[in-house]
Amino acid sequence: MEYLLLIISAILVNNFVLSRFLGICPFLGVSKKISTALGMSGAVIFVITIASAVTWCLQTYLLVPLGLDKFLQTLSFILVIAALVQLIDIVMKRFAPPLHAALGIFLPLITTNCAVLGVAVLNMKEGYGLLKSVLFGFAAAVGFSFALLIFTGLREKIERAAPPRCFKGVAISLVTAGLLSLAFMGFSGLVK
Amino acid sequence: MATIPSPHTFRGGIHPAYNKALAAAEPIRELPLPARLTVPMSQHLGAPAKPAVKVGDTVAGGQLIAEAGGFISAPVHAPAAGKVVALEETLTASGRSCAAVVIETASEQVWQPLPTFPEWRFTTAKQLIDHIGTAGVVGMGGAGFPTRVKLSPPSDKPIDTVILNGAECEPYLTADHRMMLEHAAEIRIGAEIIRHILGARTLRVAIEDNKPDAIAAMEKVFQDMDGDVAVTVLHTSYPQGSEKQQIFSVTGREVPRGGLPMDVGCVVENVSTAFAVFDAVVNGRPLVRRVITVTGDAIAQPANLLAPCGTLYSDLVAACGGVAGRAAKVISGGPMMGFAVSSLAVPTGKTASGLLLLSPKKITGFTSQACIACGRCVDACPMRLSPAELSQCIEADDIDGAEQIALMDCIECGSCAFVCPARRPLVHHMRRGKAAVMARRAAAKKTP
Amino acid sequence: MDPITTSTLCVGGIGLASAAALAVAEKYLSVPQDPRIGKVTEILPGANCGGCGYAGCADYARAIVVDNAECNLCAPGGAACAQAIASFLGRAAAAMERRVAIVLCCGDDTEALRRAAYNGIADCAAAQATAGGDKGCTYGCLGYGSCARVCPVNAIRIANGIAKVDKALCIACGKCVAACPRKLIKLVPAAAEIHVLCSSKDKGPAVKKVCGTGCIGCRICTKLADGAINMDGFLAVVDYAKPLTNEETVAKCPGHCIRKDPPASVQPPTPRS
Repeated sequence: MEYLLLIISAILVNNFVLSRFLGICPFLGVSKKISTALGMSGAVIFVITIASAVTWCLQTYLLVPLGLDKFLQTLSFILVIAALVQLIDIVMKRFAPPLHAALGIFLPLITTNCAVLGVAVLNMKEGYGLLKSVLFGFAAAVGFSFALLIFTGLREKIERAAPPRCFKGVAISLVTAGLLSLAFMGFSGLVK
Repeated sequence: MATIPSPHTFRGGIHPAYNKALAAAEPIRELPLPARLTVPMSQHLGAPAKPAVKVGDTVAGGQLIAEAGGFISAPVHAPAAGKVVALEETLTASGRSCAAVVIETASEQVWQPLPTFPEWRFTTAKQLIDHIGTAGVVGMGGAGFPTRVKLSPPSDKPIDTVILNGAECEPYLTADHRMMLEHAAEIRIGAEIIRHILGARTLRVAIEDNKPDAIAAMEKVFQDMDGDVAVTVLHTSYPQGSEKQQIFSVTGREVPRGGLPMDVGCVVENVSTAFAVFDAVVNGRPLVRRVITVTGDAIAQPANLLAPCGTLYSDLVAACGGVAGRAAKVISGGPMMGFAVSSLAVPTGKTASGLLLLSPKKITGFTSQACIACGRCVDACPMRLSPAELSQCIEADDIDGAEQIALMDCIECGSCAFVCPARRPLVHHMRRGKAAVMARRAAAKKTP
Repeated sequence: MDPITTSTLCVGGIGLASAAALAVAEKYLSVPQDPRIGKVTEILPGANCGGCGYAGCADYARAIVVDNAECNLCAPGGAACAQAIASFLGRAAAAMERRVAIVLCCGDDTEALRRAAYNGIADCAAAQATAGGDKGCTYGCLGYGSCARVCPVNAIRIANGIAKVDKALCIACGKCVAACPRKLIKLVPAAAEIHVLCSSKDKGPAVKKVCGTGCIGCRICTKLADGAINMDGFLAVVDYAKPLTNEETVAKCPGHCIRKDPPASVQPPTPRS
């Protein structure tokens, strides 16, 4: 039961993009077409889930025993996440070249995406076990994808709707993102 | 025989002001034969007819002057006797040009009738269908689909219901209305012939409830017809006269997407077409003339004229007392789906049932704005499309996106543009989008 | 061990482990790409206009290196670019001359009449679909700007109801040629200066009824042009394969539809991406 609540909380109540405002870069950058957004979502889910598992293991078996977790956490987490994303970049280039070309610069940017590091650090802060960390990571990424896909759908329609010139492009997208964020505030209180 | 209110009505539609009072009371008047007739080769859907006469030939009224240009095509006959003086290109109502046979009419009229079938009840369907085809009968509701083809559905699509379309939902037009009042008996015989050809049992005469006199007239003549016959009184709404909408209102059946009425066992024929079928079968008369409503507030004497095909619009206007004041817009057909013409040197054909002359008071120029997403067009669309989204896609040149949300199902009735508060030229967008889709399909067919 | 050594070893260790994993992945999963494709992409102007027929410069570069496509398909790059690519790859390049687009109509709203008031979408294809357009001449430029909208370098201007291409900016990508519903726009050599700016195939009297500056088919120009202008029915057409320098053709045309351009530069403009 608490796992279910954990998942709902990560996806809806404390959505990583719309409530915690992490991972805005791909949120705005990859939300032009549904097919690209779907690809990005897949990549992010994969990275965050694996990163949660690997960083948990790193923290528990290397950093804490050596007493380095207080100051080496950020650095070593970033290092591992960077390597992981680079690995995914190589794998994607080999097995899904069109998606790789479509995502372009945004794939390596998952590395510096605060959402990934945020999940890893939050896991440690909350003191979750391995299973909970992975679940939380997975749910956080699903929440990110959820927000990304909704926003992409909205943006595709707004592109066609000819807003006033001063709002065209990123301006109206940011306003929309703000309104979407407001909408998601309606979920607060769902999980205590 | 019963008079029943229509059991259903289609979703959507609009209620424009009908303005039929201008011409509804005018009995059908025969136009005096014009000196010159420019008979177009393309008066029907499908391939244009191929001229079968040369310059200098003398033709009799009713004589074949052009052969059908293919399977989906119809022959053209001389509306009156005279001499062929030219084979030239003429402007048509849609703005395109087509070939035409120009006949100078003779003072002495000679008529050459086709064979008649007085015993049509005992004639085979095939013989009757061939005869109707030879007589050049096409759908007179506006589309001009060759009736011969419509009455020959494939054997795997049996027809059980014939619907006679007396709705005439376009504002201003009263031609079909007057036909029903003055030629009800002939329409009945035409309907019987159609039913006999198709082997259908059920006949429904569909008339809108704003024409009570026509309903009464049709009731009277269909009284003693055998079989499942009824006059269905339709709820007055535009576009009640559109085939798919009418089938639903009368029978509750929905024609499948991309399909035809025969897919649900129905055939819809206009009342004037039924009259033309009667004329061809019983009187041996090919389709060479029709009733046209000349109306509007910029014509001196609105009238329902029986004019031969090939009469120029200028002749029609002259026969109605000429222009009254200034005609800011001249429309061939009705105001919803007709074509605005820029010249009166356009000849009539078998399909155009109206000529509207509108004064500047009745015309508004407009500047359109961006879609405000109010949804009125979605409410109004009788085909259940989303004109707002379609027009946005087409404006953004996303033709594939538009095709995915059923652009090709649009019947271009104009209900959406009628209600749009942002005054968007929605039908224009649809036409542009459809033209782009057809161009793409044609290009795709060409490349292997 | 003191924390500094431990940290250094720890981070170093993680780094080495990651590097090893990546090296292994690179060895077994990498996709070989010809490095020449990148270099050719750099040589190309980068306008991504699609004029070569491929989806962007990178795609064209790939086609050149892998599929042996011709080097001279890039109009914005011009002869210089084609030469550079050819010499880089060690191939011979075909000769290339600069071309520009031209709208073969000079019947603006002062000279050509409009037969109706058009109230609809400001797009040439849409206007053409509505009763054949509102211009009296059924061949002339409608002036609603469909060509100007697709031009990637904004080289087309609508002035007084007709379109005009700015020769200095045109990169000859061909998008305007495809966009015009009346097929009025042609790609011609940039060096050519004398053009017949009319596309009407109607006979003289019919042309005069709807336009004051159309070609009436008098044939005076064909006699003065020494074979460079021929008649296509009632319309004079320039044959750009032959030289045309006789300015008398401009002076003697009764319809005033033969015009001379000011000379344009032969070098292509620097493309803006």
